[in-house]
Amino acid sequence: MKGHEVIAELKALITEKDIIVSCPGNISREVYHMIDKPQVYLRGSMGLQIPVGLGIALEEKERNVMVILGDGSFLMGMSSIVTAAFYQPTNLKILILDNAKYFTTGGQATTSSALDFSNFFKALNASFKKSSKAEESTIKQDLAEFTKAKGFAILHLLIETGKKELANISWHPEEIANRIKQTF
Amino acid sequence: MSDLISPSSFLNFLEDKNFSTITGVPCSYFKDFLVYLASIEEETPMKHFIATREDEAVGIASGVAFATKRAVVYLQNSGLGNIGDALTSLAQLYKLPMLLLISYRGLLPDKDYPEHSIMGEVSEAFLKALKVPYWNLTVDNWGKIMTEAIERMEKINSPVALLIEKGVLSQ
Repeated sequence: MKGHEVIAELKALITEKDIIVSCPGNISREVYHMIDKPQVYLRGSMGLQIPVGLGIALEEKERNVMVILGDGSFLMGMSSIVTAAFYQPTNLKILILDNAKYFTTGGQATTSSALDFSNFFKALNASFKKSSKAEESTIKQDLAEFTKAKGFAILHLLIETGKKELANISWHPEEIANRIKQTF
Repeated sequence: MSDLISPSSFLNFLEDKNFSTITGVPCSYFKDFLVYLASIEEETPMKHFIATREDEAVGIASGVAFATKRAVVYLQNSGLGNIGDALTSLAQLYKLPMLLLISYRGLLPDKDYPEHSIMGEVSEAFLKALKVPYWNLTVDNWGKIMTEAIERMEKINSPVALLIEKGVLSQ
């Protein structure tokens, strides 16, 4: 499956109590167009999606935070998964959509294929952790298990490359922040 | 030499100014304050989160600001080089206020530590280039300096910085 197809499947599982932090490029754009608004659409700050989600989750226990990021952004800020595992916020979930590419910038390779995510997660303190291929036959179950998991959860999905043509995010970052703040 | 800013007064001041969280990467210049903070972690309402990198700390503080609260970030000025993007494409772009406590290393007495020399020389120019308002925090008038910095932070809805030399928060 492609990343936008996974995000489309996710739509039905997101409630008003949830808050998504998405990573710059295609993922933020897909979340903006395909999931109810507002969410924290990050445009810059590659590698900092997990810290932003962690900051919200640690500060506001009443909200469930889901960080959605690509493999490039995950690798850039990789030490933050350790920080998140250290604090174990029960209201934080991390979804990594891995196409082994910097897809937004033209499909250049990342180094993610060198990492055995299953084994890496085994060594990491988390309530739920799974690495699998995003398949149409199993995606509903994978996302349901992940979103319903109690406690700090990580799901890594290997996805196919391919994007949906979507307009850029029309809200200015200040508007994104203002709309998010109003939900608290 | 004047006494240090008392760690308890410093923490109380931050709490009175509605900071709910502090996060960062340590510097020996903050040692006394951080030792005190660790010693009262159970009692104080201030939440403290250890970061692996300075930009991660700015990211956490940004999350706190999205949740309409206020965070303090502490770092060495060596870490300034790590937070350029976190400031310009996140905290400043999305208008997320936070208070940066930056140790001011690489000044003359530090000549034995060459790793701080160049950043010490350019720290203020760096903050100016990134348009981050900053103040030099001194033991004398520290409350007044911090009040001014925090008022500016609220006014511009963006990060402001305090440069902190040795002998202010730790010997």
